[in-house]
This record gives sequence, C-alpha cells and structure tokens, in this order.
Amino acid sequence: MRHSFIDRYSALDSPLHLLEPRSKLVAFTTLIIAVLCIPANKGILFFMYFFATAILMGISQVPLTFIMGRVLVILPFIVLATLAAPWRGFPGLAILFIRAILCLLLLILLTNTTRFIELLRGLRKLGCPEILVMNLSFLYRYLFVLTEEAMRMKQARDCRRVGRAPFREELKILSSMLGTLLIRSFERAERMYSAMLSRGFSGEFQVYSPRIFSWRDLTFLSGAALFVVMTFLIL
Amino acid sequence: MHIPDGFLTNRLAISLDILSGAGILYAAHRAKIEFSSRRVPIMGVLGAFVFAAQMLNFPILGGTSGHLIGGSLLAILLGPMAGSLTMATVIIAQALFLQDGGLIALGANIFNISAVTCFSGYGIFKLLGGSAGSGKRLLFAGLLSGWLSVMISSACCALMMSLSGAIPIHIGLTTMLGYHAIVGIVEGMLTAGVLSFLFKVRPDLMSIDGMGRFGAADWIGALAFVAIPACILVAAGSSSLPDPLQKLLTVNPPLPETAAGSEMLPSARYADYLMRGGLFVLFIGLWFAISRLTRHRRGGHEA
Repeated sequence: MRHSFIDRYSALDSPLHLLEPRSKLVAFTTLIIAVLCIPANKGILFFMYFFATAILMGISQVPLTFIMGRVLVILPFIVLATLAAPWRGFPGLAILFIRAILCLLLLILLTNTTRFIELLRGLRKLGCPEILVMNLSFLYRYLFVLTEEAMRMKQARDCRRVGRAPFREELKILSSMLGTLLIRSFERAERMYSAMLSRGFSGEFQVYSPRIFSWRDLTFLSGAALFVVMTFLIL
Repeated sequence: MHIPDGFLTNRLAISLDILSGAGILYAAHRAKIEFSSRRVPIMGVLGAFVFAAQMLNFPILGGTSGHLIGGSLLAILLGPMAGSLTMATVIIAQALFLQDGGLIALGANIFNISAVTCFSGYGIFKLLGGSAGSGKRLLFAGLLSGWLSVMISSACCALMMSLSGAIPIHIGLTTMLGYHAIVGIVEGMLTAGVLSFLFKVRPDLMSIDGMGRFGAADWIGALAFVAIPACILVAAGSSSLPDPLQKLLTVNPPLPETAAGSEMLPSARYADYLMRGGLFVLFIGLWFAISRLTRHRRGGHEA
C-alpha cells in the first residue's frame, strides 16, 4: 500500500527498488555519514558524491521533477539555517549548503525507492523495537484517515460562520475541534484493536515481502562500501 | 524546529543518536511492560492525530498561523514515556515522509522535540498540580506546561546549533526564544483548551496517565541519563579534537588546512579516521546490544 502524496514512486521496478530494504538502509546511512565527514578543503569529494547521487537517481527512475519538488519544500529551512552565519564567507556557506542538500537528496532517494512497509520491516530486522515499528505502521496507515477527518471538521466550521470570530471564541472552537478529533482517534484505536484481535493478532505483525538478501544486495552494498573507502583513502 | 543534516558536528549528532536510541529502546521496553495490550494501536493512532492536528491552523498576528505541536498534550494524556515514544514516532515519520529533519540529525531532533518537550511539559503540569485540580487550575497548568515546554525545547535546539558552531549562542537563543515565545503561547492555549474540553466531555480519558506512572526514582534516573552524557559532550566540545565541521567553521579554512595538511598528513589523518570509525562501530554495537537485550526479554514474556 502507498499514498500518492507521500511515496508515489516507491513501487516502481527499477534495480534500486528491487533491493532488500536492509541493504538499502545500511548503504544510504553510510553514504550520508560519509558526506558529513568530507573535510571542507576537499571540494572534489563533493563532486564525486554528487555524481554518485546523480547516478543513483538515474537508476531509480524516480522523476527528477518529483525529487526537485521535494527539495524545494525543505530548501527554505536549509537556506535560513545556512544564512544564520554570514560572517563565515562564501566558501564556508556554500559547503554547508551543498552538504545539507546532498544529505537531503540521499534521504529522498532512500524513502522514495522503498515501500514504507518494507522499510519498516528492514528496520525491525535491524533491531528497531517492535513497538516503534508498529507505531510507525499505524501512523502510516491512519495518517490520511485522520487528516481527512480534520479537513471535514474544518470545512464544517467554515461553512457555519462568516468572517472571523473574536480571538477567544476562535480559540475555543479550535480547541474543541482538536478535542473531538482526539476522542475520535482514541475510539478508532479501540475499534482497531478489537478488529485486530478478532482476526488473530498475536502481538507481532506478519508482513509478506518477496524481497530476500541476494547477490544484487551484495553487489550494491559492496559497491557503496568500496566507493566510500576509495574516496576517503585515495583522494 | 527540525535540524537538517549537516548543521551539527558529527560528534554531537552521533552521540545524540546514541542517547536518543537508548532512550527509545528503554521507553519501548517499559511501554511493553506497562501498557495493557488493549492500548497497542493507541500510540500509533495518536501519532497520526498529531499529523492531522497540524492541518488545523490557528491565525495569529499578521497573517501567520500556528498549530498544535502536541508534545506536552500527549505527555499529559499518556504519561511522559509513552508520550515521548509517540512524539519520536512522529518525528521519525516526518523525517521519512517529508524529509523534514535529517537522518543523522534524527537523534538530536528526537531529543529536542520529543524527549525534552514531553518530559518538561509533563513535569511542569505535575508540579502545578494540574492533574488534581479542575477548571482554572487545569487551564493554568496546561497553558504553562505547553508554553514552557516549547521554550525549553527551542532553547535546547539553539544550544545544539551553537555548540556545533553553526550560530553564535546569543543570536541563536534570542531568535529561537523570541520566535517560539509566540508559537509557544498558541501551543499553551491549545493544550489548555483541549485539556479542559476533555475534562468536560470525557474525563475518563484524562486518567490514562495512571498506566505510565513516573515516580521520583524515574525522574532522577532520567536526569542522570541525560546529564552525564551532556557533561561529557560539553567537555569534549570545548576540547580541540579534530572534527571536520569545526575545521570548516574557522573563518579562513584554506590557510591552516594546507599548512597542516602537507606536513602531518598520515598520522593525524589516520587517527581521525580511526576515531570516526570507532564512533561508528560503537554506535552500531550499542544499538545491536541493547536491541538484543530487549528482544530476549520479550521472547521470555511470550512463552
């Protein structure tokens, strides 16, 4: 299952999508840490990592416009945080900016080439606690159900009034809306649990996933490791 | 505010990853013991609730709008452990879905936004006796716990950024606190409003807190758990160990780099790699070990 807004392209068939989630998680984390460790005076390393990221983006078949759209959403925060230190001079600012953008691109690539449920399964196999993984999967499944409910409530409020109420009134309306949403979430959780129990929930999720660790993953992992080691030791 | 990757020094970011990782594992362990299984989906659904609640904007001055952040509200309703676990879920989801906040900076974001907000919000609420009182007292305690928790969390964020040398401490503190003073007022008023609404409509939901009691011994443990690494971190941050980001942050990077790079190339460089590698291995090892421990106990519980 996937949402068209969050991960529209996570179910494609590219070589990157076919990898096992664990190997992708480990490889991308390593790449991001490597980017963070690039010393400031080695400009060429940034180019090499950017090149590698571009190749991965090409392999992944995720449309460039989609990735750029994602970057544009986060860009203001990065620019703001970068410009907080103007005395650092142009090279320092540029390197900080490039580093943040590279990490962002890698993260976008990781989350948009893996179905979320499989990513969670990978996290679980890497030792993430079951309860956290379960929380994340519930969040993913019910995110849009509750958002839709919130939007319906908002529409109902907007239909019933003209203009804007005084501050106190506005506050009261919004907090009772939030309270109602909270109560509905609680009740939904209770209903969900009864439904899960009646379908034989035993305390652990069983997720079917066809992905197993294969030669492909081995190639990808060793390729990433080789790349990181080479760029740091040889250059 | 979510910190993106690249703005914290690696040392700070990775040690906060370890700290938050250990905290999450402990919280998950406790939640497993204390939560009756009836409550299994509640944390996940409340995480989705936080996402949905952020769609409901509230107009403040000058066309800008604020929304509920939800940390202190969840902590008051679920107890600080489950509350911060839920907020951690939300932050991980924000990083994975929306790329809001970086992957390596995740530990820092979880520490600031989930742990600090939930524990300070809960502590303030309890100190003001909000749970016993009703009416005005509940409103007041909710308001103050929402406002102060946001302020403390933003101060922590400014402190981390300035420890990493990204912004000087006085500028960081004034801008972050100034901005969050307004955001925090909205947060406080909404927290108080929702609490008093719940108190009127469904008072039974207010007592869920009883499941995750947090006694004096727990508070001392939690404070020590955070304070000891923080002291080590501050001590290490003021030392002159090599760190790539700190090299970057010197005003004129090329001069010392070329001078130092040519003569003491091999030894200093490999010591640096060794240190980074060691940190990485330590991080992975710790994660693995703790997860093994908690998994083992769960296996016993099942049998």
